Amino acid sequence: MSAPTDASAASYADYDRTTSRWGRGTMLMGLLASYVGPLYLVFFTDFEIPLGDLVTGFLAVAAVFAVIWVIEPITYYPVLGPAAMYQAFMIGNIANKLLPSAIVAQAAIDAKPGTRRAEFAAVMAICGAAVVHIFSLLLFVGLLGTWLVSVVPTAITDIARLYIFPAIIGAVIVQLAAYVKQPRITIIALAMGALVQLLLVPVLGPVFRNFATAVVVLLTMVLAWVLRNRKTEHPPVAGEDGVL
Amino acid sequence: MESLSDYANRPVLWLSALAVFAVIILQTVIYMRAARRAGPSVGFTPQDLRESFRAGGVAAIGPSLAVVIVAIALLPLFGAPAVLVRIGLVGSAATETSSANLAAGTMDAALGGSSWTPEVFAVAFMAMSLSGGMWMIATLILTPMLKRGDTKLRAVNPALMAIVPSAALLAAFSSLGIAELPKSSVHIITVVVSALVMAVCLILAKTLHAPWLREWGLGFSIIVGLVVAYFAHGAGLGPTA
Repeated sequence: MSAPTDASAASYADYDRTTSRWGRGTMLMGLLASYVGPLYLVFFTDFEIPLGDLVTGFLAVAAVFAVIWVIEPITYYPVLGPAAMYQAFMIGNIANKLLPSAIVAQAAIDAKPGTRRAEFAAVMAICGAAVVHIFSLLLFVGLLGTWLVSVVPTAITDIARLYIFPAIIGAVIVQLAAYVKQPRITIIALAMGALVQLLLVPVLGPVFRNFATAVVVLLTMVLAWVLRNRKTEHPPVAGEDGVL
Repeated sequence: MESLSDYANRPVLWLSALAVFAVIILQTVIYMRAARRAGPSVGFTPQDLRESFRAGGVAAIGPSLAVVIVAIALLPLFGAPAVLVRIGLVGSAATETSSANLAAGTMDAALGGSSWTPEVFAVAFMAMSLSGGMWMIATLILTPMLKRGDTKLRAVNPALMAIVPSAALLAAFSSLGIAELPKSSVHIITVVVSALVMAVCLILAKTLHAPWLREWGLGFSIIVGLVVAYFAHGAGLGPTA
């Protein structure tokens, strides 16, 4: 790589400033826009939902995912770089869509990883992926999907509603286990899940059930750490979670 | 009385969803203009820019359609606006349905059954949005810190970083998957079928060198799982309640 001239350094600094400032600004706007729908439903319709129910519901989710909120951005930062972080965590589907797109684009223009060209190629590839994704969602889900659901007999949509979660979760466990390739942790997680959900929940009752998955997460993290294979080296890997 | 789908498709929810889409388009335009201005000084020509954009877009077609299939299957549960924002963008089917499941559980309700009322949906949607928003808040806080090269964050033990996230996610999904089993025979059958279809997709992806099967695995598993659930439920194996 040739030594950067003053002009190119200034030009890059300008790009960096624009993407940081507007990246943060647009992400904040996206965040606030995403709150409008649920806030409206909870506070501006005829529901009378006690605040306590909202807090409990959120805490049950937070107890399970709080660790992931923090670790994911740290994991992806080295691969994405600052500008793309603000795109990726708003557009979603990072591991299964955005990263492959970025790599394909870098190869297409023959940009070597770690260079400014590669960084720009990744950002532009994510822009391209965002446009494709947004149009396919609006067209196939927003318009076509909504129409499809309205013509499908309710007997079928009722089944879809009732069994969609088991139909997703079985596949997700297998996909994640295959992706992380850590059989020891997989076995610990399944064993703790069975212990807590099948043995403790029926005994300890509904209050415990609300936080049963959080207990499984905590137990599994501790046991996976204590029982880790101390011989293997763990290089820092990006994208631990192929399903997110 | 208004149905769940009436609430889930209120105009305000549609506007909220479309606003998120509009913000992403705005961000894309700003980033493209910034890259076009600064690109040539780092050897990134306008032709590179067009080529990267095109290559990224084309590479995203398959994965986007795979997400579309999953999203359509979730429409009866959450309605289009919530599905578009929470599953299509920001989050993923796995985390968002898990969040909804956990939040519904605190109200003694389950996803999709007779206890899945508009009120429970509202609480679940709020919990999904708050939790999903935390990823963005963490990104907003951590990115500037990481950019400054925060030594504390970079020095996190790599073994810890390799183990903790895998353990947390595997534990969360295993726990929620196992919690489905006592509900009815159909739940057991559906979880097992869905897991098997995914396993077959992953094995075929490897042996046939067909990486697209990996992307489409979740969509196929859901469709086959639901078809089997339909017949098992019809055979009277469903929940008695």
